[in-house]
Amino acid sequence: MNIQVDLTEVDNRVTGSISGEIDAHTAPVLREKLEVFQNRPSLEAELDLSEVNYMDSTGLGVFVAFYKALNNNGGHVKLIGLSSRLKRLFDITGLGEIMDIEAAGKGGI
Amino acid sequence: MVQKIESQYREILKQYIQMQSEQNLYEGQNFSRKLIAENTSPEDVISMHKAALQELHEEMPAQVWHSFDLLIEMMISYGMALQERQSLIKRQEELRVEMDLAANVQETLLKTTLPNVSGLDIGLLSIPLRKMNGDYVYFISDHKRYAGVAVADVIGKGLPAALCMSMIKFGMDTFNSPNARPEEVLSVINRIVEKSIDDSMFVSMFYGNYDAETARLTYGSAGHEPAILYRAETNSFFELHAKGLLLGVAPNVAYGEYDVQLNENDMVIIMTDGVTEGRNEDGFIEREVIFDLIEAKKDQPAQTIAQHVFNELERMQNAELKDDFSIVICKKI
Amino acid sequence: MSNQSSVDIKSEWDIVAARQLGRNVAKELGFGTVDQARITTAISELARNIYLYAGEGKVEIMGIVENGLSGILIIASDEGPGIPDIRRVMEDGFSTSGGLGAGLPGVKRLMDEFKIDTVHGEGTAIKATKWLR
Repeated sequence: MNIQVDLTEVDNRVTGSISGEIDAHTAPVLREKLEVFQNRPSLEAELDLSEVNYMDSTGLGVFVAFYKALNNNGGHVKLIGLSSRLKRLFDITGLGEIMDIEAAGKGGI
Repeated sequence: MVQKIESQYREILKQYIQMQSEQNLYEGQNFSRKLIAENTSPEDVISMHKAALQELHEEMPAQVWHSFDLLIEMMISYGMALQERQSLIKRQEELRVEMDLAANVQETLLKTTLPNVSGLDIGLLSIPLRKMNGDYVYFISDHKRYAGVAVADVIGKGLPAALCMSMIKFGMDTFNSPNARPEEVLSVINRIVEKSIDDSMFVSMFYGNYDAETARLTYGSAGHEPAILYRAETNSFFELHAKGLLLGVAPNVAYGEYDVQLNENDMVIIMTDGVTEGRNEDGFIEREVIFDLIEAKKDQPAQTIAQHVFNELERMQNAELKDDFSIVICKKI
Repeated sequence: MSNQSSVDIKSEWDIVAARQLGRNVAKELGFGTVDQARITTAISELARNIYLYAGEGKVEIMGIVENGLSGILIIASDEGPGIPDIRRVMEDGFSTSGGLGAGLPGVKRLMDEFKIDTVHGEGTAIKATKWLR
């Protein structure tokens, strides 16, 4: 039950990767790190989730909140490297249609 | 009273210094129980020990008496920690009682009656992980022709999820019609939820309406785990795909409406992610496992099948469920 | 009132001075060893709060007689930021969970009477009394 969040910001653009499990225990860690950026105007964020091996609805909630906050401030969130399991989660919930997501390449899980 | 205790302790101490027997130590243990029952603080115990020793062995050097004063001083903080702990335990108990009451209120609030329409056998199991349930199953029916079923799952568990859920109930109550259309139900509930909850909260919901005259189920989904269709004729399982965004994410959302014809012994199974996201040591419990469980009891009543799925999944996860668990099985008979 | 005296709290060493003064007064008034230790611990906590949260302030200690009872009164006052939420700091588990020591609920239990006056941005005055029995 562990999570690692690495974020770097250059010129109002946040890139980073998240690895581990995003569930009710670890979601607060992720939320705290993302909240730092959520009130910035027109921030671009690209987060690599290819090392996330589990995510539940609490994790989804963190991304939805981040997506809403950035969108309201004229920014944009992109999630990349989604495993098939994560991709399915975004598709089922309909979030895949409103959020910018990209599944992992053919070499992915 | 205090003096009686002091003299009792002096006697125990005297005996022990003389004989050092296990019997004396046992008496000491019993005595300490009595002290705890009377809320005697640690600093008072040391002080009592010092006083008793002074009476029994006043010849001891001054260093010994000084050392007790240091110990008394130090024990004050332990005494405070102990009192704080006792007060916290009391508060915890108060919270537990309050929580029990809230769970009762929730149970009454969310009571729902299984529809009684011809040709449909419904089984339902909704088990909260903690006291309060973040899953919600609601039926609306005229008990003649139409049977509506809503299954909703609020993100998170426990109290916050349960509070959010009563909102769905009141939203559902506004549809006083047994054949309300899924697209309408979902978009109205979405508007209610979107207005009332914060950005990281959301709800997934399945809503289906069964017409006993045509044996068709009309359904829609707001980001909910796809319902499962079991076809008796081919003995196979399908996911009932339905497009639709989670409730509470955006204000105006249009939901699709789909329908499926049910034949004899077909089943529609609606679950929350507490059922589908089960994990054991080997990883995720795949959906095929759940299909096998259903198939094994396919000739039984819907309630028996639901109970079997729960029992087996619970067993596979060593009785450690991670989320609220709800399953509704609608079987065409 | 008698035996009134006070210690200014500016550094951690002043906490020790306040303790010493409190112990002397408590002893003179006739408190037993364990009560002396309780009073001193209470003074120590109050002085430490001043040092940590207000930077400076003072602790006054005096013997008092009321309705035929004699006791010791401690007044800890500062002109610091004040306490924004008194109910919160008086809750068990609030200060100890942050590792800040016994906190104010602990002081309240050590003494017989306890009263806080605080104004946000202006400071705090805490009065605590223990009666001689």
